[in-house]
Amino acid sequence: MTQVLRAENPVSPLVPVVGKIIKIVAEKIDVKTFHVSTPEGEKPFTPAPGQLGMLSILNVGEGMFSITTQGPNHLEFSIKKTGVLTDALHEAEVGQTVAVRGPYGNGFPLDFCKGKDILFIGGGIGLAPVRSLINYAVENRGAFGNLQVIYGSRSPADLVFKEDILENWPKVPGMKVDLTVDRGDDEWKGNVGFVPAFIEQLAPSPDGDKVCVLCGPPIMIKFCLQSLAKLGFKDENIITTLEMRMKCGVGKCGRCNIGSCFVCLDGPVFTLAQLQKMPPEY
Amino acid sequence: MITEKIRAAAKELLEKGEVETVIGWERGTFWYNSTPVFISKPEQADRLVFDDFCANNLAKYLLDYRNADGKIAVFVKGCDARAITRLIQDNQVKREKVYLIGIPCTGMKEAPKTVSSQDVAGLPLLAKCQSCATPNPVIYDILLGDPVPQKEVGNRFAGVEALEAKGADEKYEHWGKLFSECIRCYACRNVCPACNCRECAFDANGLNWLGKQNNLQENQMFNMTRAMHVAGRCIECGECERVCPMGLPLMDINRKIIKDLNELFGSYDAGLNLEDRPPLGQYKLDDPEKFM
Amino acid sequence: MKTVVKSKISALLDEIAKEFNLLVPTAGDGASKFAPYTSGGQVSLDGRTLLPPKDVFFPQTEKMYKFSTDGMAGSLETLLEAPKHQMLFGVRPCDVKSIHELDHVFLTKGFVDEFYQSKRDRTFLVSIGCNGPAEPTCFCQSMGVNPQESDAVDVHLFDLGSEYGAVAKSENGEAFLQKYASFFNEAEVQLPAISEFALKPDVEGITEKLQQMFDHPLWEEVSRKCLGCGACTYLCPTCHCFDISGRVAGNQGFKFRCWDSCMFSEYTRMAGGHNPRPSKKERVRNRFLHKLQYFPERYGDLLCTGCGRCLSKCPVNMDITNIIKQIREVELA
Repeated sequence: MTQVLRAENPVSPLVPVVGKIIKIVAEKIDVKTFHVSTPEGEKPFTPAPGQLGMLSILNVGEGMFSITTQGPNHLEFSIKKTGVLTDALHEAEVGQTVAVRGPYGNGFPLDFCKGKDILFIGGGIGLAPVRSLINYAVENRGAFGNLQVIYGSRSPADLVFKEDILENWPKVPGMKVDLTVDRGDDEWKGNVGFVPAFIEQLAPSPDGDKVCVLCGPPIMIKFCLQSLAKLGFKDENIITTLEMRMKCGVGKCGRCNIGSCFVCLDGPVFTLAQLQKMPPEY
Repeated sequence: MITEKIRAAAKELLEKGEVETVIGWERGTFWYNSTPVFISKPEQADRLVFDDFCANNLAKYLLDYRNADGKIAVFVKGCDARAITRLIQDNQVKREKVYLIGIPCTGMKEAPKTVSSQDVAGLPLLAKCQSCATPNPVIYDILLGDPVPQKEVGNRFAGVEALEAKGADEKYEHWGKLFSECIRCYACRNVCPACNCRECAFDANGLNWLGKQNNLQENQMFNMTRAMHVAGRCIECGECERVCPMGLPLMDINRKIIKDLNELFGSYDAGLNLEDRPPLGQYKLDDPEKFM
Repeated sequence: MKTVVKSKISALLDEIAKEFNLLVPTAGDGASKFAPYTSGGQVSLDGRTLLPPKDVFFPQTEKMYKFSTDGMAGSLETLLEAPKHQMLFGVRPCDVKSIHELDHVFLTKGFVDEFYQSKRDRTFLVSIGCNGPAEPTCFCQSMGVNPQESDAVDVHLFDLGSEYGAVAKSENGEAFLQKYASFFNEAEVQLPAISEFALKPDVEGITEKLQQMFDHPLWEEVSRKCLGCGACTYLCPTCHCFDISGRVAGNQGFKFRCWDSCMFSEYTRMAGGHNPRPSKKERVRNRFLHKLQYFPERYGDLLCTGCGRCLSKCPVNMDITNIIKQIREVELA
């Protein structure tokens, strides 16, 4: 006998709920941010900053994405066009039915971060997972010390979340946003150079147990870690998020393991100190 | 005796630095398991064996050494040598990058039912060796031992003819039942020396030419595609059928295709020599057009 | 102990089949496996099946939900089979242990997999002990399995030669033995001695040793002959990796999960092309470390029960007992 259960009350962490794309923001040529609600206009679930969501177009496929931020009634996913599913998402219009399941993963260590100064470093679309914590810190401004965002992209046209980086965040008291691009253009007045060099130039101090939250392409992370070490940041205070191929989201299907950790369940957020104890297989 | 010869040959090649690796067989779990081994130091040559259980076709491993700097030596039985001939014809392996040590082969044996009995003579030949038409290597740099006489193998298409005599529904039922058993482990594909695509279409992300469900439709799609992809290049080593954990008679399909090719394009046995090009790898003005 | 003569087993199975959806080891044409019991059919209670019983709880392909789309609209419906109570009869102790390991994966660590649980909860387990290796490749004893007796079942049957000795291992098991009491006699029994296993890998301290061996050249060495097929993983009673995929026809479709194998190149490859385990060296290493290090670290048990299926069917005789031996022989600096 087939037991039919309502989708809004899933029987399994593997079965999604139906959702709808209510807004699409074109961040740059190959990145769009999708705002997703339930058909009734509610938030599908409430993730902690840094957690993941499995988003699907029913007749195409599903993929795990970081939830870049959330509103009272929606979740936001910022997605780069890289394959079959993301191509379909980029072609979707407002009103498109999607399915979503989650939240998955550990999220950022909020208790550890609270009360401390935080340095956020993002490269390219790597700002997406970091943004969930930035917005949380902005909304809970009193719970955190000074905030600094260092963000870089290949060119001015490649900068994402322009409203946040250019308007919203710089206005927040005690918050500073520093931007850099690998190659400028005629209009670009800001810094030109790679993120690691920019970090060393800005030389943020690690004093006061400052936490650094960092995400970007692997090569950028590699050199940023060297820069941060030079500046004296402790491995325990450097936090990043990892990406692996995922299917279940609950540590059962097997493929996202790094040693005995599952990135979908025990991650995606790890401190550098934790990563150093894990096999370098990611 | 032969084992001493192969050890000496491997040792010499490695000592002189003529090859960087020797691919052969060594003793496996039990006395009736011989398993592929890769030797790169002369002192390891004593691991090599040649006995009645060296069934693995070693040709496939040459694909792992496509970018090797030096030469690779491989021990070849008749079937291994045919497989390598095919790989050379397909430009997968360069003749000058391999050193082939031929071993005439009287056929490999089935594993016994128990570990304790050591009656090798009483063990039957593997099914794949019973119909072997090339016990002697067709290509080699040196040959160890004397060529063995070709056995009388009878009509190797007898099984295919029996299947051809069945009606369409009967055939469908026959293969349907078998393919329902397939667990899609892909051992048949991965062991096959003719399956040499750098990336198999079934492994490519996003193509979805083959669904991952295990059901008759998808299993048929896999098995028929696999067989058609090696059409004209199958050297009848029988490895696919030997390694199938479900015991599926995969050589029946391969032989049916060979028989059809022979009927369409004239008799052709893949991998017997470097000169004869496979019927599906060339174009002739008088090629039959039955399929059009 | 309650005993039942082996010649009465088919009559007992006929009775059980009236109440349960009964699954028994069968060896008809094709591979031996657990399949629905048919009266007078092929029941094979000697030795272990080639296919493990894991598909009873974790089918190779299992539909999860179906969906329909209409332009931008769409809806979905969960498909959760709630099977009739079923009995898995004649499970060997190695396979009983494997079910225990699958329980760890699917039922613990914060998330319960209802697709697995719905079948697991409704399955009555009857095990049959072995008095020695069922196949030359067996090595369960070395992996902490008592070949003669299982405890994590409802009823266990000792193999006493011409009869089985039955012991209830749960309340349901007690009720079962009472219900079918007419088949059993009460007798003093002597368990046969366990005969010698040919393979005896020593796994003492292996997890701790492997923690220092991730970068060891051994992995390059042992992976060379691997063909990268999934025969070992699909025949393994404990391997449980799966994929989630879908099938669409027009505006209808369904999502299913199916077995997957860590030996396949596509398993960890990401949409952008990056693969954290790009070659067979990394994949073979991950498979053995998962069995002998990662799983013990996470769940406290080795992910190998010594059933020997992988090494008996591997096309190249990749032998986990030999790899364990090689790991032991490594001298760490």
